[in-house]
Amino acid sequence: MLYDLRHADARVKWLVTCLLATFGLAYLFGGWMVALYAGFTPHAVAQTYAVSELAAEGVPMHMRMPPDSTMVVEHQMTSQQMMSMSEGPHTIDRDLLIQDTHVHVPMYGVIAACLSLVVLGLDLRRGWGFALITLLFAAPWLDFAGMWLTKLASSRFAVLTVAGGFAMGLAYTVVAAVAVWQMWRPAQGDVP
Amino acid sequence: MKLLLAGALAGALVHISPTVVLVKHPDAVKQLLPGADRFLAREYHLSDRDAHRLHEDARDWSPENDVLTFYVGKQGGGEVGALEFMRIDTPHGPLEIAVGFTPERTVRGVLVTKATVETRPWVLAVLADGLTEHYRGLKGTGTPNGAGALKDKVGEMPDYMAHHVDEGVSRALAAYRDFYKS
Repeated sequence: MLYDLRHADARVKWLVTCLLATFGLAYLFGGWMVALYAGFTPHAVAQTYAVSELAAEGVPMHMRMPPDSTMVVEHQMTSQQMMSMSEGPHTIDRDLLIQDTHVHVPMYGVIAACLSLVVLGLDLRRGWGFALITLLFAAPWLDFAGMWLTKLASSRFAVLTVAGGFAMGLAYTVVAAVAVWQMWRPAQGDVP
Repeated sequence: MKLLLAGALAGALVHISPTVVLVKHPDAVKQLLPGADRFLAREYHLSDRDAHRLHEDARDWSPENDVLTFYVGKQGGGEVGALEFMRIDTPHGPLEIAVGFTPERTVRGVLVTKATVETRPWVLAVLADGLTEHYRGLKGTGTPNGAGALKDKVGEMPDYMAHHVDEGVSRALAAYRDFYKS
């Protein structure tokens, strides 16, 4: 072990606890935001990231070809349809996904690094340490890989994004639970 | 650890905040296509050549999937006007504007329909100073310069947002000028 959180100074334990609580709060609101703007099922994620309804049906995007000459298509809309025109499902096109990837991936990296530092201070077997650190970094990779593959290849890859999101939540929960338990459980002989 | 926490803070500061609806689409339709009792959505599925032309005219912008959509309002036998929704991606998150045109092919009005939690105060500041008044009456060949008109009245970030709204209006004008026929 590089350092031992169980026997660390109380201020270090308090810092780690505050960090975990802050990340936990961020994850809770992150989950709420996902529920509002994308959803927790592969179908909902596909609707958000796939280019069109065709993609939601699993048709690869490379099949879409531009027309030889510009086509004009008109749809009649009733007043009622127009006035009840909703904002529609929240969708993210390629440009916005580029921007999202640019700002989210570094942040995810920093969060994974912070949680990995906590893992290094836990009393765990080396194998578990490797596994947790790998999961912490792999989860956001899976998340964004799913978004891009859903956008560029097939809506079937939306399952990767859902898996990545749940993997992030799982990794955080395991690290936070083990850390809090090891830091604050009463030692034998302590007065409660 | 300090470096990591500073990094986390910096990351949090650049994180895009959620979208906020400033004007609902039905309200934008009422304001920009007043009196219309019949509507149609007209989609232009652009050929490669037309998509390239628009990309040049709209200064490196292309509509999503190369499809332009205009909402056309009609009353009786006549046309009330047309309306475009235009999204502008900024480093602080997306903005959406609605640009309405009269049958005389001039801008009837511009509304900022969506911003983000972060950009809303900046956008509201320029709207309060009358940003969108500066677009009214613009012709297809005109150059939107609302930001220039407000330059000395607003702060740095509101001015920055005003430039993005200018950019969106400019794209809408290019799309309308190049493709829309009554």
